[in-house]
Amino acid sequence: MADVGLAPFQILAAFLFACGVACFITKRNAIGLLMGVELVLNAANLNLVAAARFVPGLRIEGQVFAIIVIVLAAAEAAVALAIFLNFYNNHATVDVDAANDLKG
Amino acid sequence: MFNPFDFAEHPGRAYLVATLLPLIPVLLLLFAATIRNMARSRSGTDSFASRIYWLFGGDQPLKTGGTLSILFLLGSFGLSVWGLLQFHEEAHTYHDFPQEFATRWSERGDWLRIGTSKTIRPATALEIGYHIDQLTALMFTMVTGIGSLIFIYSLGYMKRETEDTVDDHVAHTTRRGRFGRFYLYLSLFAFSMLNLLIADNLFQIFVGWELVGVCSFFLIGFYYERKSASSAANKAFLVNRVGDAGLLIAMAIAFASFGTLNIQELGGRIGGSQPVELSHGLWILMGLGLFLGCVGKSAQIPLQTWLPDAMEGPTPVSALIHAATMVAAGVYLAGRCYPLFAPEVFLTIAYCGLITMLVSASIALVMTDIKRVLAFSTCSQLGMMMLALGIGAWTAGLLHLLTHAFFKALLFLGAGSVIHGCHEEQDLRQMGGLRRKMPVTAYTMLIGVLAISGMPFFSGWYSKDQILSAAMGASLSNHLHALLFLGPLLTAGLTAFYMFRLWFLAFAGEPRNRTVYNHARESPWSMKWPLIILALGSIGVAWGWPLWDAEASYLGHHLHEAEPILNHPAFSHAHILAEEYHVVAGGLALLAGVLGAGYAWSRYGRHAPTAAQLQEPRGLLAKRWYFDDVYDFVFLRGTQKLAEQAASADRSSPERPRRFTLDGAMSGLASLVQRGGHALRRTQTGQVRQYVLVLVLTLIGLLGMLSVLAR
Repeated sequence: MADVGLAPFQILAAFLFACGVACFITKRNAIGLLMGVELVLNAANLNLVAAARFVPGLRIEGQVFAIIVIVLAAAEAAVALAIFLNFYNNHATVDVDAANDLKG
Repeated sequence: MFNPFDFAEHPGRAYLVATLLPLIPVLLLLFAATIRNMARSRSGTDSFASRIYWLFGGDQPLKTGGTLSILFLLGSFGLSVWGLLQFHEEAHTYHDFPQEFATRWSERGDWLRIGTSKTIRPATALEIGYHIDQLTALMFTMVTGIGSLIFIYSLGYMKRETEDTVDDHVAHTTRRGRFGRFYLYLSLFAFSMLNLLIADNLFQIFVGWELVGVCSFFLIGFYYERKSASSAANKAFLVNRVGDAGLLIAMAIAFASFGTLNIQELGGRIGGSQPVELSHGLWILMGLGLFLGCVGKSAQIPLQTWLPDAMEGPTPVSALIHAATMVAAGVYLAGRCYPLFAPEVFLTIAYCGLITMLVSASIALVMTDIKRVLAFSTCSQLGMMMLALGIGAWTAGLLHLLTHAFFKALLFLGAGSVIHGCHEEQDLRQMGGLRRKMPVTAYTMLIGVLAISGMPFFSGWYSKDQILSAAMGASLSNHLHALLFLGPLLTAGLTAFYMFRLWFLAFAGEPRNRTVYNHARESPWSMKWPLIILALGSIGVAWGWPLWDAEASYLGHHLHEAEPILNHPAFSHAHILAEEYHVVAGGLALLAGVLGAGYAWSRYGRHAPTAAQLQEPRGLLAKRWYFDDVYDFVFLRGTQKLAEQAASADRSSPERPRRFTLDGAMSGLASLVQRGGHALRRTQTGQVRQYVLVLVLTLIGLLGMLSVLAR
């Protein structure tokens, strides 16, 4: 496999990140928001793994970080889905703008 | 592993154990009192709680606490006697091995380390340790011995406190007995005082210093329902804080300049001449600060006003804390820190002692309350010790401290016995003829009176004689300081006068108040035994051979071994003169004492005055030289005025709207913050998309700034 260098990976990661951010700026649906968050996290993961491969000083730190991020993402998704499920039970919608009960 | 009972290797640890022993009853009593209090509030409803409550004595305080405290203090007395004997033996066997002797009798370690660097260690650690020398060993035995006697005496004196309800006739209230609490405080005091004595550094001394201060506060205010007692407690505490401030300043100077608070090390670095680490002014300031602490604790002028008021506490407390031990701590500290003082400080000490001695003795001449006479006498005798220290008579001053502890404790306990026997009557004018009703009290007290007046072969004679001859030497070597001899001489006469006046008024002649006399009775044996033992001590504690030579006192010789060596030319000259004129000084002191006693006899003893002849004292002396009034006017009223001014700055009026007052300014500030909060609240919309947008825009902005700045 040809060695393409760090730059293409970073460009791809930046694109993914931008997609994720765009997703949770525009979406009102909670599930959509979660998807955006996943995209952002995975962009970060891609960056970490690529850096581990191409930066001379790093050895396995990038991969380890990526695994931690994946685990965190899984935990976060579980919690967030539980919250949204409850929210749906109470409000019959997953529109995040409807969540203003705590606003003083 | 630290083994506190390793007496063979470190005999000094016996003192450590002896110091900690009185702490055990403190903890036990605290624990028992907590359980009892918790059980009492529920004893009505909960059968288990009520059973526990009755187990701990029910409504009536248990006597066990007192017995326990006495046993532990006696144990500590036994240890200290063993330690004293051992110390004297080893002082000879180890005479040629000072290094080994020091490791056997003193230890130290870090208590609180500031920072971790080992290289500048002494400057960054507060230490804890003990150091036993002749002075500590003797003082320790004295405190535990007299303490034990007074603990036993209190069993009889505080008997009323074991009842379930006690009527306080002064405060007109009924309350529960406080027997356990009394012994709790006494034991805590014993621990603190012993800690102060064995400490080898100023910080540990300061800890003990404050602890005895707070015990004194508790015990002066023991009958806190009485207004006079609670305000006397506050006064003692506050006045002592003034002195402690001086002590703190001195400690700060020592720590900053030498990096250690260990007294032996400081003494080695200073040793009576100006050290290189300190400027002359700072050296004097350090000495004056230390001395100010001693002034507060030992009730010297100008901080003497608390001691007479401290007589509001129970009489055994007056004997133990405010006559024999705690007030002596000031003199002890001055003796301990002897090598740290500058010549100017010595002069201050001498004159402060002189003024205190004369002023207090003159007030004692007219007091009619039996305990107040003794209180002023204590001030005066402490002044005499300070004077002795100030003129370089270290041994004489501390010898007087030890002998004074015996006869003053005896006199106070005797006064307590009189008060107890006469049902709380303290006025000398109501007494008279009591020697027929309470012979043991009367004649033991007579021994105390003879001892404090400096009559030959009583313990007071040996110490007073040494002080007087040293004072004569000091005033002969420099005629400017002639007052330093005339003052003590006059005081010796005054002391004999007011002490004999007290004795004649209380015990001799005919009863002046029949009701008091008819109800008077001798105290129980638990109170008589301590009196007898203390009387024996007052006679013989300073004896030596030959008996008629005041310089031959064994106690004095042992103290002399601990005397720090000072290279002070004025002192050595005075010492030589003191040796030379010893007999003259002693003879003059004896003459003054006999004259004072004789005058007292001719006025109060030959034919006892009737109650009508003893009118209320008036004038300067009865007003105590107006010290209290001046302090009241300057500090008390001054503070009140200041507080009133401050309060008026906060009062709004029609001319001055509210927002110009302090309160208004504070409210204005608060409402400003509130309004700001309301404005910021609008930005918290709760819309996730808005937040993310702000986040992204911020990120872009930051990146833009970075790309511009990094170029």
